[in-house]
Amino acid sequence: MAKSSEESPSRRTFMTVVIGLISAIVGVAVTVPILGVVLSPLFKKRDIVWIELGSTSDLQKIAPLTPKFVPVYFRVKEGWSVNTLPRQVVVVKDINGNFYFFSNQCTHLGCPLHWIPARQKFLCPCHGGMFNVLGKVVGGPPPRPLYEWVHKIEKDTVFIQNKFLNNPKERGI
Amino acid sequence: MFKKIQDWFDERIGLTELINEFNGERIPRRGGWAYTFGSLLAFLFTIQVVTGIFLLFYYVPYFPMARNATYYIKHHVLLGNILLGIHLWAAFTMIFFLLVHMARVYFSGAYKKPRELQWVAGMVLFSVVVVLGLTGYMLIGNENSWWTINVLTNVASHTPIIGGFLRIIVRGGTETSVLTMQHIFAVHVWLLPLVVIMFIPIHLFLIRKTGHQGMALEYKNSKLSDDDPNKWIKPDGTVPFFPDQFYKDMIVALGVFAVVYFLAVYYGAAIGPMYRPLALNFAPEADWYFLANEELLKYFPGHGLIIFSTFLVPTIGFAILFALPFIDRGHERSPFKRPAATVLGILFLLLLVYLTLIGGEPKAPATV
Repeated sequence: MAKSSEESPSRRTFMTVVIGLISAIVGVAVTVPILGVVLSPLFKKRDIVWIELGSTSDLQKIAPLTPKFVPVYFRVKEGWSVNTLPRQVVVVKDINGNFYFFSNQCTHLGCPLHWIPARQKFLCPCHGGMFNVLGKVVGGPPPRPLYEWVHKIEKDTVFIQNKFLNNPKERGI
Repeated sequence: MFKKIQDWFDERIGLTELINEFNGERIPRRGGWAYTFGSLLAFLFTIQVVTGIFLLFYYVPYFPMARNATYYIKHHVLLGNILLGIHLWAAFTMIFFLLVHMARVYFSGAYKKPRELQWVAGMVLFSVVVVLGLTGYMLIGNENSWWTINVLTNVASHTPIIGGFLRIIVRGGTETSVLTMQHIFAVHVWLLPLVVIMFIPIHLFLIRKTGHQGMALEYKNSKLSDDDPNKWIKPDGTVPFFPDQFYKDMIVALGVFAVVYFLAVYYGAAIGPMYRPLALNFAPEADWYFLANEELLKYFPGHGLIIFSTFLVPTIGFAILFALPFIDRGHERSPFKRPAATVLGILFLLLLVYLTLIGGEPKAPATV
């Protein structure tokens, strides 16, 4: 018969080590897949799609320095399902006829901006951020100008991607 | 007959002894009503667990459906509005009394040696309950939920180094999606309640382990000096937990429950409109207990300072609260004998109330 821990101190040490080892093995064996499941989104590639916004001839009709809110619907794969993401594209034409395709999300923390015609400004209802019509910050806490959607023009048609320009940390989407 | 059943159990597991052991805890006598907040919170948490479980009979954690499932519970499930109302108002009440409980402990110096770990365990419970509140708000799936998820995950993204990863992990991707809702659901329904269920017994065990440590008024007759640790071991008078203290606990629980029930039946839970990512004129609003933080976010403009409001101030604030018993190591208990702590505490509470009030002001930019 094996000695009990009370009869032999070395036996006690041995059993303590075995208990510790078993706990460690089971612990690690369970933690590793849990970490995988939790961190999984970091390893997934984002579903990036192009979507038609409208024809350039239509866009030429909008008044300069007056934002036009155009809803777009991205069909993207999210996890196990394909979903429609409705998003606003704020089309602005400057006085030289250049187009900007802004997101209506505040660059502070992502609230939906309101366009206030009387003040010619975008206002954030959450924390008071303010942007002018060309997306520059003119007040409040936002750290950077408005995000612009990635876009391209092919044969008189404007396409928008569900991705922002100059947004390395992919904030605000 | 009853005696026979009791004997049957006693013979095998010593049930009576066990119950007496549990109920016989001696509680300092004078502050009885002030000590009811802890039990009140345990009571409210039990209410939350029970109502929450049965809300799951109908709830769907899927973004386009969650709000309609909640609406269904409120308007089409028999008495569902009351169950949902209790869950909401008991949550609000719980957060409110958590603050009251913490303030009581703070001002009466009850976190001092040997009760430091007690305070730390309590802070864990406090942090978890606040996150439970926020995640509950997100699960309704209405317009506020959608923007709250976006804003809070963006707040998390400003954490140094890991911020961006943190946001992706919480959202289950770059954007708020069906996976986000599923994650929040798992956290609200399983993960955090389990943490609470684990920490409540720890919190209670520590009370019994550290013995009676009442407020200063329990030791009026003691001739020992405040610096003598032995003074705090012997209160002037004690009563058994059952029934003396338990009786007071139950009366307070009933009073609060009556208020919760009234609010649940009379006001119910507002569900609000379906979420619309295309909203052009919507002003998201945080729950009342988050308004102070919300207000804070307005004060630090620009790229360099944003980290103060999103990360540094809340983190340092929580760190100070967690470490409170290790920062304030004096032996004085009475709030009148440690004026610095008392004044700081009052100022902090006033600041909290002030930020909450101005944070709650309507902020409609549509008013030109």
